[in-house]
Amino acid sequence: MYKFLLAIALTVLSLSAAEVKEDMQVPYIPYEIKMGEHFDVVQAQCLICHSFGYIINQGPQSKAFWSGKVQKMKNAFGMDITDEDAVLVTEYLYKHYGNGDDK
Amino acid sequence: MQRRDFFKKSLAVAGAAAIGSSLEAASQPITGQKVSQVAFPQKRPMITYSDRPPLLESPRNVFAQAITPNDQFFVRWHMPEIPTHIDLKEYRLKVNGEVEKELSFTLDELKHEFEPVEVTAVLQCGGNGRSAFSPIAGGIQWGNGAVGNAKWKGARLRDVLERAGIKKGAHWIGFNGLDNAAYYKTPNFVREMHIEELDDHVIVAYEMNGEELPYLNGYPVRLIIPGYYSDSWVKMLSNLTLTTDYQKLFFMDVAYRIPDNDCECEEPGSHKKVKTKPITTMNVKSMIGYPTNDTKVYLNSHLTVRGVAFDQGKGIREVQVSIDGGKTWEAAILDDGKNGRYSFREFRYTFNPSKYGKQTIMTKAINKAGEEQPLAKEIKWNHGGYKYNGIDTVTVEVV
Repeated sequence: MYKFLLAIALTVLSLSAAEVKEDMQVPYIPYEIKMGEHFDVVQAQCLICHSFGYIINQGPQSKAFWSGKVQKMKNAFGMDITDEDAVLVTEYLYKHYGNGDDK
Repeated sequence: MQRRDFFKKSLAVAGAAAIGSSLEAASQPITGQKVSQVAFPQKRPMITYSDRPPLLESPRNVFAQAITPNDQFFVRWHMPEIPTHIDLKEYRLKVNGEVEKELSFTLDELKHEFEPVEVTAVLQCGGNGRSAFSPIAGGIQWGNGAVGNAKWKGARLRDVLERAGIKKGAHWIGFNGLDNAAYYKTPNFVREMHIEELDDHVIVAYEMNGEELPYLNGYPVRLIIPGYYSDSWVKMLSNLTLTTDYQKLFFMDVAYRIPDNDCECEEPGSHKKVKTKPITTMNVKSMIGYPTNDTKVYLNSHLTVRGVAFDQGKGIREVQVSIDGGKTWEAAILDDGKNGRYSFREFRYTFNPSKYGKQTIMTKAINKAGEEQPLAKEIKWNHGGYKYNGIDTVTVEVV
């Protein structure tokens, strides 16, 4: 894996002097997200708009925070998700990236 | 690594909460994060919170110099779909809405049909330093490096708008860029500015430190609003739309807002809705670029602390340094200020560490209005973790 990443890094570095005349290649970074129940729903929904880095770099948060985030994605940003799946995503996020405050 | 820091911090918070009122709302932001092994286009490896949308932070040592290099300048996008190719034959900056005549300009026209102006100005994310807040505030847990300073060159926004003719009833300017959401329903990252805030320092910039803008910093054109947090410095600018009324927009009405009270603060955990206001202008701040927390220095050696200081444009009067934990402060040497009042000011301070072990260095900026950087522990909490400006602290080891 490390060699693979290094290869990407070198490729990208070699492009760095180029102007924006060719297509820009933004690298993919495999953020290590925790596996667990309902991960499939998280993967299917959250990755449409953002990386896992966006999730894990929020820090541990309360259940209300994660529930609020899921509702924001649904109501403000237009995520197409059923109410049932929204609950599953919230449960996953709180279980793996929660701070112990389940209110 | 970052997660481990969070866990340490969350344990500390839980401990403090159990004791009760001793809880402090802010400490130092996370520092010393490793840069990613993967570099983004036109960038050196940077601290990388997300690849999509790209969120890249500058490591601390970048702040030992007044001008931030383009290839180490921080990056923050809101939308996942950023054009990967800009064809200058197709690119236009459009001016529409409440104007006498709708116009559009090519990049070449922006460069040659308007008087070019330059301004050196700090670009800082409102959430820079967010990781200092306890309990952990919502949003990306930025360390110190969601900020940079560049010499921008471009056309005055006023000149561009006046070419199209500002109608009498026009009160708001809306800015839109070429980035897009993944869902049609997602609101665009559109920002608005009241026409009274428009002054001659606001430019549409096509040059950054003498080069064209890096793709990830908004090529070919971005808005520059000196003194203001970067949330309105729209990248890959494509539309200027004048309106008579304020448009209700998600990224104006919900994001980038703080409590509308004197302390700009609120009680953590309280679910009371507070009245909010936009974050707007930046507060006074300094940052140490050298040394960093992993630096080892020799006893009695010559240690020159270097860093930068800035505010919203009132101007930096002084930077003070303390090497005794804040008991006494001494003035650092400031640069000549020739980059203007919106720029980083470089400072340096030399001393000889005289005791083995940990040596803490603190820096405090004071502006010409007498506003001082507060101690981190004096900073009150807000739910978005915005506007952190605590006295910067670095601890080195004297060997």
